[in-house]
Amino acid sequence: MIYFRGCVARLKVKEIGDATETVLNAAGVNFEYLDEEECCGSVLLRTGYGEDAQKLMEKNIEKFKNQTILVSCGGCYRSLKMDYKEMIGAELDVIHTSQLFNELIVQGKIKLKNSREKIAYHDPCHLGRHLGEFEAPRNIIRKVGELVEMEHHHEKSRCCGSGGGVKSAYPELSGKIAREKIKEIEKTGPDLITTTCPFCKLNLSDHGLEVWDMSEFVVMFLEEDK
Amino acid sequence: MKENELKTMRSSFKIMEERRIDLIHDPRIIKLQERVKNIRKKSVKKIPAMVETARKSFKINGMEFLYAEDSHQALDLIYNLIKNEKMVAKSKSNTLNELGLSDYLNEKNIQLVETDLGDRIIQLKPDDNKPSHPIGPALHLKVDKIAEIISESLDVKVKADPRVIMELVKGNVLEELKSCKIGITGANSVAAEDGSLIMVHNEGNISLLSLMDTHIVVVGVDKLVDTIEDAISVVKLETAYATGTALSSYINVISGPSKTADIEKKLLEGMYGARKVVVILLDNGRQEALEECLWCIGCGSCIVSCPVYNVVGNEFGYRGYLGGRGVAMSRFLQDEKTSFNSGLYMCTLCGLCTLECPVGTPTSEIMEKIRKESKNTGFSPKEHYKIHKSIERKGSPF
Repeated sequence: MIYFRGCVARLKVKEIGDATETVLNAAGVNFEYLDEEECCGSVLLRTGYGEDAQKLMEKNIEKFKNQTILVSCGGCYRSLKMDYKEMIGAELDVIHTSQLFNELIVQGKIKLKNSREKIAYHDPCHLGRHLGEFEAPRNIIRKVGELVEMEHHHEKSRCCGSGGGVKSAYPELSGKIAREKIKEIEKTGPDLITTTCPFCKLNLSDHGLEVWDMSEFVVMFLEEDK
Repeated sequence: MKENELKTMRSSFKIMEERRIDLIHDPRIIKLQERVKNIRKKSVKKIPAMVETARKSFKINGMEFLYAEDSHQALDLIYNLIKNEKMVAKSKSNTLNELGLSDYLNEKNIQLVETDLGDRIIQLKPDDNKPSHPIGPALHLKVDKIAEIISESLDVKVKADPRVIMELVKGNVLEELKSCKIGITGANSVAAEDGSLIMVHNEGNISLLSLMDTHIVVVGVDKLVDTIEDAISVVKLETAYATGTALSSYINVISGPSKTADIEKKLLEGMYGARKVVVILLDNGRQEALEECLWCIGCGSCIVSCPVYNVVGNEFGYRGYLGGRGVAMSRFLQDEKTSFNSGLYMCTLCGLCTLECPVGTPTSEIMEKIRKESKNTGFSPKEHYKIHKSIERKGSPF
């Protein structure tokens, strides 16, 4: 299995890459990193640079061959699972960290401590609405404590404001959207806030919210001696 | 839009969402939705043929049929019909908004009376006359602000009470209508085979306009469907999604001028209603548009949940075409520069609008397609160019 960290977890929010590595090691999962990991192409696709994205995809696909690809990012998950198929006909075996962690829990390879905490979960657009993964992260949360849902959740979840190149081109707008989202999150009165996309974590924390990636959350509650 | 207007708009949106939730999950509406999806998808594929069918049907029905390639032609055609008037009346219409009719008539010294209450309020507002929702144009304004607008513009002192405001505006509009002989409206759907125009309203204002000497109806080619039955399905679904009520108070089906043959079977036009009904079918870039852009039935459901629209309001959109789908349409109604300035890159591509859209308009996909083209002609944020360069150089955006 290749652990494809994605640009944000690899370079900006490195804690996510580190936490994921900790979980994988604790569960005894064999994995490797790519020698030269590059962008998956998502950023280019969303901002109109489709031709450049395609070149990058064709380059990446050589490195991926016949391997399961583990990703941390909702954006990578969508592009590898959906856009690679649509654009270059590549059906890749992709798994998101939240899905793998959930499997590891079910298989008893990792065990999480119970807590009485109220835990909110923000559905990233790409992982949730675009590709339908809502339950794996929720199952993990329920192993630990009480899951609290926001006014808009699952497929109706509201965007954190960072997608589609908005964070780079319109930072002020991105901030306004994030602050509306934060208001909605805080209304649930959570002790902990989790998500499953480094980009969402980055934008929400840039606007003052303490939010944990599912990898960090799992590490936080990991039972040392399973 | 100002911060307090955005706040009022968000709370209005919340009320709308709550009001319609049961209705849009009603099995009958879900069945209707499937029917309308098929109607819309089928219709946009055969616009040229439907235009020809409509041309014949309207003529048979005794209506004047005109075709406008673009907005200039449409405005010329309208002007030609109303040039001798001092004042004309209109109903709420995104198509007339698209033409910029109000500014155009202002230049030509012809006064325009907005008959829809929300539109009239916005018209009387001294600045930012853009609507915030296609069906509720003034729902970003609080009643005290509206009272202030009305008091100042009509030079009266009006209480911040919705009914008092309504009565006052009604009186004012009815007074103005006495001087109007021509009513201009849009249509919500057009039945090509039957040669009928279908209009939806609650206030009754469209009925008043259709009873004037001349009724001019300006409508986009994207509103064409085959039959009255199809058109009614479309407007029923639009009403459910736009307002949360199953039906509007009025659905007018207009298939000809007012006429009688009660005396010796001799045909006389202009009994109570319009003696002359003129249909102006407008293309203005529609047939060049991506097909999915034209599925829209105009309910405004997309903007109610849009994370971008909720924080910036009508700045994200083009004229009355609000939100992402409006931005996409502006690429075809105008050009790349217009769509760039309307917010082509403000969309986070979150896809929630597609889920909320009764016909599933894939706006984020449309946006991506337009961005691709737009980037090639230079309308792309420089930050995205830098990111693209960074990826090219070192394999990552950072």
